[in-house]
Amino acid sequence: MLRNGANLAAFPSRRGRDGGHTRHGLVAVTDLFVRVLLFATSLASVIIVFFIFIFLLGEAWPAFEEVGAGELVLGENWDPEGDPDNPRYPRDPSFGANAIIWGTILVTLGAMVIAIPLGIGSAIFIAEMAPYRLKIVLKTAIELLSGIPSVVFGFFGLLVLVNWIRITWDLTLGFTWLAGSILLGIMALPTIVSVSEDAISTVPRDYKEASLALGATRWQTTREVVLPAAMSGITAAVILGMGRAIGETMAVMMVTGNRAVVPDPIVNVTSPVRTITGTLAIEFGEVPVDSMHYYVLFALAVILLVLVLFINLSATFILSRIEERFHPRTKKAMGGILAPARAFARNWKELAATLAAILLSTLFVSYMAGPVVGVSVIAASLVAHFLLERMLPRHRRQQYDRMLVLALLPVAIAGIATRAIDLPAGAGMVLLLAIVVITVQMVPERASRGNGLLVVIVLWLFYHWFGASLGAGLVAAGLLASQSLSLLTPKSMQRVAYGIVTASLIAVLAMVGVIIYYIVANGYPALSWEFLTESPRNNGREGGIYPAILGTLYLVAGAILVAIPLGVGAGIYLSEYAHQGKLTQTIRTGIDNLNGTPSIVFGLFGYAFFVAYLGFGISLLAGALTLSFMILPTVIRTTEEAVRAVPQGFREGSLALGASKWQTIRKVVLPPAASGVITGVVLSIGRAAGETAPILFTAVVFIQRFLPNSVHDPVMALPYHLFYLATSIPESERQQAGTALVLLIMILIIYSVATALRMHFHKKMKW
Amino acid sequence: MLVMVIGITGCTEESDDVKKLTVAGSTTVQPVAAAAAEQYMNEHDKVDIQVSGGGSSVGVQQAGEGTVDIGMASRDIKSSELTIYPGLVAHTIAYDGIAIIVHPDNPITELTLEQVTAIFAGNITNWQEVGGDDANIGVIGRDANSGTRDFFEEFFLDPHGLVPAYDAELASSGGVHGAVADAPGAIGYVGLAYLNEEVKGLDLKEDENATAVTPSVANVKSGEYAVARNLNLITMGQPTGLAKDLIDWIMGPDGQAIVEGEGFVPL
Repeated sequence: MLRNGANLAAFPSRRGRDGGHTRHGLVAVTDLFVRVLLFATSLASVIIVFFIFIFLLGEAWPAFEEVGAGELVLGENWDPEGDPDNPRYPRDPSFGANAIIWGTILVTLGAMVIAIPLGIGSAIFIAEMAPYRLKIVLKTAIELLSGIPSVVFGFFGLLVLVNWIRITWDLTLGFTWLAGSILLGIMALPTIVSVSEDAISTVPRDYKEASLALGATRWQTTREVVLPAAMSGITAAVILGMGRAIGETMAVMMVTGNRAVVPDPIVNVTSPVRTITGTLAIEFGEVPVDSMHYYVLFALAVILLVLVLFINLSATFILSRIEERFHPRTKKAMGGILAPARAFARNWKELAATLAAILLSTLFVSYMAGPVVGVSVIAASLVAHFLLERMLPRHRRQQYDRMLVLALLPVAIAGIATRAIDLPAGAGMVLLLAIVVITVQMVPERASRGNGLLVVIVLWLFYHWFGASLGAGLVAAGLLASQSLSLLTPKSMQRVAYGIVTASLIAVLAMVGVIIYYIVANGYPALSWEFLTESPRNNGREGGIYPAILGTLYLVAGAILVAIPLGVGAGIYLSEYAHQGKLTQTIRTGIDNLNGTPSIVFGLFGYAFFVAYLGFGISLLAGALTLSFMILPTVIRTTEEAVRAVPQGFREGSLALGASKWQTIRKVVLPPAASGVITGVVLSIGRAAGETAPILFTAVVFIQRFLPNSVHDPVMALPYHLFYLATSIPESERQQAGTALVLLIMILIIYSVATALRMHFHKKMKW
Repeated sequence: MLVMVIGITGCTEESDDVKKLTVAGSTTVQPVAAAAAEQYMNEHDKVDIQVSGGGSSVGVQQAGEGTVDIGMASRDIKSSELTIYPGLVAHTIAYDGIAIIVHPDNPITELTLEQVTAIFAGNITNWQEVGGDDANIGVIGRDANSGTRDFFEEFFLDPHGLVPAYDAELASSGGVHGAVADAPGAIGYVGLAYLNEEVKGLDLKEDENATAVTPSVANVKSGEYAVARNLNLITMGQPTGLAKDLIDWIMGPDGQAIVEGEGFVPL
């Protein structure tokens, strides 16, 4: 408090007695004007947010009405171009998107299997093990990873990953669910790492000190104290990462093969799949406006939004629970009548996990032994399990759980061994083994109850991936390893655990390294003065990419021109002026959800509204506005967070000295908040520069003869140029890698500027 | 924001004596139209022709609605489209052969039409069944909106009431080309323009006893290679003015030279 006061004295407080009557009036008018202006910006932002949702729903409505939600979600045949007038094979179009929804969910889940262990492992390393300097470096590296554009991942996937998978797994084609999940897993990593790292770092120091004081090793402290305390935050991180993965478009559509089938069996990761985002990106560009196919694509976008909304709301809910755990201010108010509800809320996770486990294992066993046997086996074992558990005394339960694991193992092996034996193996098995060990290590002791089920599930997966004997062998080895770990002394245990955590971070860095190395090594020879300053020739195989660089700059400039005034204004208004009540909270939730909206959905909206409805055509204007809507929520929220982070004492001090509200905001609140605001803006620029999906239908052309001379002209853009070259132009490999490298360098510069600015302002900020 | 939009809009002024023409539709026809437009603009001052993609269906619809002056389609106008826009007129400017392509290392050099149908319908899944190596066949097709896919299925699958069994659906002919060039077991279809040494175009024959025909510009032109389609420019009513001039120019010697240069079959 004293420091605040001391600081305030340093602020210019020239508004002394010299401010006469007229001056005072002017200040009041300015204040009112600013207030109205900021209100207008926030109103405009809010209208935009809700307008997008309503507009999408309106465009999707005819599909829900004609085709029906049931057919869309459950229908099995996706044949949108069926034509009753086709002379040779007349058939009605069919819009069953069941396989597409499955594809979306499966690719996302697969990505999580890869990203969760690696992400949490890396977060533990950064938060608990890394020295301060290394921590800063690693956090920056992870941030950079999040800046690599989706289309660059897709480019890498198409040229390297797809072929690697084809050869390693001995497949005919490498376009697979696995390829999509690997790319998405890498792309979801930054979110999972940074949010988990935050959660782990914010666990109060006393917790750790108390544990260490009791003689626990550092790893025991991390595992038994820090991780459980940070669990809600880590869960939220996983959910946010999932939200990021499910909305990804370009990378996924370039590698998954886009065939609308449910994998058979459902864990067959080498099956091609098609996601909602991929379907939108591929088909939307070529559907006639106002056809049923057009409406159905909007309906798919709405279904995707509902999935994302559900994921985001769970994250918000969980995050709000963390806040409550460490700052339990509402405890008293909530007691009494609400106590049962609270008890339920505490147990909901356990309940949900149990239900999910039951459901999954029923499904899995039904697959193996038929539905009747499957359901009865699971039901019988559940009943037995619960009865046994109730009868056992408390101290026996843990022993029982261990036994359950050991008893289930041979049963599962025997069950699987009765099926046919096949032995093809892949290089991924070592990785998968590592994942199992890491996961088992991270499960807190009390979750061991679910271990038995987990083992059965993993066994079943491995059986399908590696064949019966190898799969069972791998699981047995994994179990043996994890069991033998418990025999180690705490000190050796710590060494092993740290080894695994370090390995997960190294794995992440290695993946980033491979991608960046590939792009730099292949792109560097393409770089030349001509490449940067000339127009493309021969369908982009020769010449340069100057118009694409320029187009990207135009698009970004246009986007920030709209998004910054609106977003910063709205952010300031929401935090400084708006009454902090239900309405503001609703607005904030709306903005947050818009923030999580997949970029391809903005693309659809931009096309339907700007290009078609307002008649802008495929143009710089339509693209820049679409991008600005996409980054608007980020700008609003980062501004709001940055402004709110300024201590309340600053404002009170300034107001007490007689400054008006706007004067206080302008001279006292904004300067220290500038760093946060600018960082948010610069990161938004990076995002806008790298996005492909929103401009795909609104702004870009592949080849342009003249540079655009008005905002009504379409533009070329780097991400789209790379996408088009990589997917459509044979024999343009050099130019592809060159374009990817230029795009990467551009993003790198933008992120370095953001980092430098933050460091610069960070030093200036003192309180 | 409104103010800003109006402000930006304000700076677009076209002088009145420049004649504008818009062309949109099939991405297959686009390179021909774009190259033709470029050369036509070089020869004629004060003409501004803008060519954009969107796909055949979009081309037909926009021509019918009058959103563009000329639509492009890599197929003929469907009867359902003629019901909505009875005035549509198609002008064939070139032909395109569809080649069945495999990896260059694949020992197979020819297939019967029946075999192609069976492979793409998923009834033949191993190369051995058509006299090749013992390896699975990876069937690659285009996305549902593709005019190339429409045509291919109309030719090989629709007459038998069969549906395709693709292992991957890619969004562009270049993508199909790239995937087949990478994977030894793959098969796909692309326009003649995409044939090069990285992939092998299979010879096709009516049945076991017929002679196999190589997919080539000459064979399409002579009518011997039957898997060929019309590339059309589409107008609402008979074209007039600049639209008529451009279409005539493309059908003339200069335009047909461009057609050939882009790998299509001239009239």
